[in-house]
Amino acid sequence: MERISKKKVFKLAQQVMLRLTDEEADNIVAEFDTLLKQMDLLDQIDTTHVKEMIFPFEEPTDFFREDIVDHVLSVEDALYNAPIEEQGYFVIPKVVKD
Amino acid sequence: MFANRKIENIENEVMTAISVARKQQPLLNAMVSFMEADEAVEHAKSSSGKLAGLPIVLKDNVLTKGVRTTGSVSILDNYIGAYDATITTKLKDAGAVIIGKSALDGLGMGGTGTNCHTGFVHNPYDLSRMAGGSSAGSAALVASGAVSFAIGSDTGDSVRKPASFVGIVGVKPTYGRISRYGIIPYASSLDHVGYFTRSVEDAALALEVLAGRDDKDMTSSFRAVEDYLANLNGDLSGKTIGILGNVIDSIKNESTLKLFNDLVEKCKNVGATVKIVNMDPKRLQTCLPVYYIIANSEATANHSNLDGVRFGMQESGDTLEELMTNSRTKGFSFLLRKRFIIGSYSLADENQELLLRKAQKVRRLLVEDYKAALADVDVLIAPASGDVAPLLTDTSADQLSARYLIAENYMVLGNFSGYPSMTIPMGKINGLPMGINITAKPFEEQVMFDVAFGMENLTGCKNMTAEVMV
Amino acid sequence: MSFEVIIGIEIHCELKTKTKMFSGAPVSFGNLPNTCVNEIDLGHPGTLPSLNKRAVELAITACELMNCEVDRLIRFDRKNYYYSDLPKGFQITQQFHPIGRGGYVDIEADGVSKRIGINRLHLEEDTAKQFHHGDVTWIDFNRAGTPLVEIVSEPDIRSGKEAAAFVEKMKSLLEFGDISDVKMEEGSLRCDVNISLRPYGFDGYGTKVEIKNLNSVNNVLRAVEAEIVRQTEIYLKGESVVQSTRRYDEVSRKTVLMRKKEGAVDYKYFPEPNIPPVLISDEFYNRVKSQLPKTASQRKESYVAELGLSDYDASILTSGLDLSNFFDAIVRFGAPAKATANWLISEVLSVSQLRSDKKFADWIKPEHMADLLIMVSEGKISGKQAKEVFADMILGEAPKDIVAKKGMSQVSDEGQLLVWVTEILNGNAQSIEDFKNGKDRALGFLVGQVMKLSKGKANPAMTSELLVKELSKR
Repeated sequence: MERISKKKVFKLAQQVMLRLTDEEADNIVAEFDTLLKQMDLLDQIDTTHVKEMIFPFEEPTDFFREDIVDHVLSVEDALYNAPIEEQGYFVIPKVVKD
Repeated sequence: MFANRKIENIENEVMTAISVARKQQPLLNAMVSFMEADEAVEHAKSSSGKLAGLPIVLKDNVLTKGVRTTGSVSILDNYIGAYDATITTKLKDAGAVIIGKSALDGLGMGGTGTNCHTGFVHNPYDLSRMAGGSSAGSAALVASGAVSFAIGSDTGDSVRKPASFVGIVGVKPTYGRISRYGIIPYASSLDHVGYFTRSVEDAALALEVLAGRDDKDMTSSFRAVEDYLANLNGDLSGKTIGILGNVIDSIKNESTLKLFNDLVEKCKNVGATVKIVNMDPKRLQTCLPVYYIIANSEATANHSNLDGVRFGMQESGDTLEELMTNSRTKGFSFLLRKRFIIGSYSLADENQELLLRKAQKVRRLLVEDYKAALADVDVLIAPASGDVAPLLTDTSADQLSARYLIAENYMVLGNFSGYPSMTIPMGKINGLPMGINITAKPFEEQVMFDVAFGMENLTGCKNMTAEVMV
Repeated sequence: MSFEVIIGIEIHCELKTKTKMFSGAPVSFGNLPNTCVNEIDLGHPGTLPSLNKRAVELAITACELMNCEVDRLIRFDRKNYYYSDLPKGFQITQQFHPIGRGGYVDIEADGVSKRIGINRLHLEEDTAKQFHHGDVTWIDFNRAGTPLVEIVSEPDIRSGKEAAAFVEKMKSLLEFGDISDVKMEEGSLRCDVNISLRPYGFDGYGTKVEIKNLNSVNNVLRAVEAEIVRQTEIYLKGESVVQSTRRYDEVSRKTVLMRKKEGAVDYKYFPEPNIPPVLISDEFYNRVKSQLPKTASQRKESYVAELGLSDYDASILTSGLDLSNFFDAIVRFGAPAKATANWLISEVLSVSQLRSDKKFADWIKPEHMADLLIMVSEGKISGKQAKEVFADMILGEAPKDIVAKKGMSQVSDEGQLLVWVTEILNGNAQSIEDFKNGKDRALGFLVGQVMKLSKGKANPAMTSELLVKELSKR
């Protein structure tokens, strides 16, 4: 993996809806060097034929939730934390229609 | 202590706790918000629950309905909990009185207590030192004597390390033993609800209240909750204790080693069999990177819901993207933003194979090693940290590049594997506490508590409290 | 140069469950905004998903109906992106391990039967609904978390008619399988078409264009045909088709550009850590399989084979689940099958728009329909009278009440009939002459006279018989 560029760092930030100052981006570029070193450490471990571990305990469950209404928030509770609301709706600036 | 003690004067008990916490607040800075306790006190008076009348504190990543829950992050600064976490409900049902929410490193991501939105949390034993993290506030308040029970969470050692730094009992049970519903997540496959007490008996009772299947958390276990307190047996004769040799080998501090070895001798003297167990050192070296890659990846996705649209601190924007970006940029500290960007990188399709999936594969190997290490012993032990609590000015603990020292990072094996793991104090070094970590096989909390109880009797460190000069 | 058309269709279908895919909040039916949500649907911090049993049962049912192989281990993944209608900032879906794979459905287009492959069928959750309101957007999270299955066909479809037939077939399977309401206009079934052209004999694929938001089977047909024309023209000019997303404009009858494809979005798929693999046990799987509802085809076959209906009538009756259920209910109440079929097709369907959104059975009680048809078959009222009664039934009254109120009961009592017949015969000597002279029309005339005298109540068939008998005596 190549060294990461500052431009790429800004792009990565944008992808997760974040902005960075110039210094912050520099800091992260340096941090990526650490990440590369960490990757090297990992690379030295032979994982041929080893499956990823997603869960600490991997036995499947046979639990299914019954399809019965059990919990609804009142509209007041649903909108309580809404930064902007109008007539029961959450409000945001107009989005580009899909 | 609260196990086997009925709280006679609940009002007094609760008022005292609140009063002490308030007095200590300017020194420890452990609390985020104090809660109205009157209703809970009334309820407790007629409660026959196991914790009736006990004042407690919840880490501020635990949802409390109608009460501010910030996760110690700016974007949730004004968030009022829309619901109670499952453990919040369980604690209330047991008659506990929640007096407030305690400080944590933002979103649980940190190990020092110096990345809290509310500022540094101070170690009650030495205010110039850290209490550890991320469950800094809860740890400090139990160590200071304000409360005798506080909830934390442990994703990479965030209960067990602070417990060591402040000389108390810190428990991370088996993964799935306690429901995570209502706990602001860090990394879902590593997160555990944990807690602090000042004695093993209290810890045993606490688990009886907190544990149990919750259908709202599909990873929670169906196993029956045992009578941990009633069955507590501190007889160490016949127990086989494994010392994780790799950790010992990586510790430089002679005082730590002496404390540890003294305790091991005492265990042998009362009939325990002790042997050294070693894991593959090359693989152990990867604990920190495996942890960071998995944790940052999962955390990035988990916190994509924090966007300023439905709740939390919203910054305006002309477009949706501007709104989200402004809210999230203002709402997260640089350290958090950095973690998310790195996490996003690890998740990117072209990188996942080499980063996230590679780390997940190494996780499996580490867990297999850990399982093998535990195979022929009842528990594995090692000092919970190489050194006592660092000074608050020591920022090296934050660098991603930090020490790969096995001694500082091995407890994450408890998160990779999900095995139950706890820390109890084993003594002090120059007045500063040092703890020992005890890990058992999955769902063998009873074995873990039994050994811890036996050791507690040998250390004389039961119910240790710091003198906080208010 | 002639072109082969390669079409693949993606269907998103809302499942008929009571609660959401991952939470116990109710699924919404045009409710007031944000009244069918809980903290999980709103993506509040600390929430966790809990898998809906019924959604899984319906997905397995869909797999069986489409001949898919079912993966007995249910595994979920996260699809990560940021948008205002996506509360968690990721959608829980099944990217790597869809519950169903490798199936097929048989369709008929232009009289030709064809098998269309189903590549995958998987479970996922729906997003919120957004409404544009001046210079802001309003968001309603009622729909957020609604269970969906996504069904992706193989690119086996070759024409607009096949595309329409495929969507029609999917609608039928999903509706009769009691899996979904399949209301394209309301969005409970959404259809995206991927279409590319290539010269015959060419091995590769041409540039794919996606057409989204098709809200009716007819629009699927028209959109595909319009797009084929558009792409053909481009290729014939020697130009290239641009990869893009388009929608169908009903006014211009053309496809219209929505946006150009910017290059693949990276959704950073990874396994959902909060849902362990869920095992579909033998008991669960067999139970679902044993409860598979009859498909439209199966119902049609049994209408023909067991009830003796014509192929045509059976087709019409099985064109919609509600109609077929209505028919079944009426027959269950004892009405004769053929008469019921005739009545539904000729009388009921022509006025069915009066029922608006109501189900047939909520509009006219099946029991009442049965009463009406039984009265006709027993001769208590005539077919003509029945139509009059029906007109009032639409307003909500019971047929027996209407008949009684209007004094419509057909008289089949021989005694009374004889009185009328005798009176008419006594007054129509000429007709009697005509009848004896072989003029059959005379009988009809006399029957008519009896009907007039009895104010329409005489049973015409019995009257006719009786007249013949009496005439022979004179």
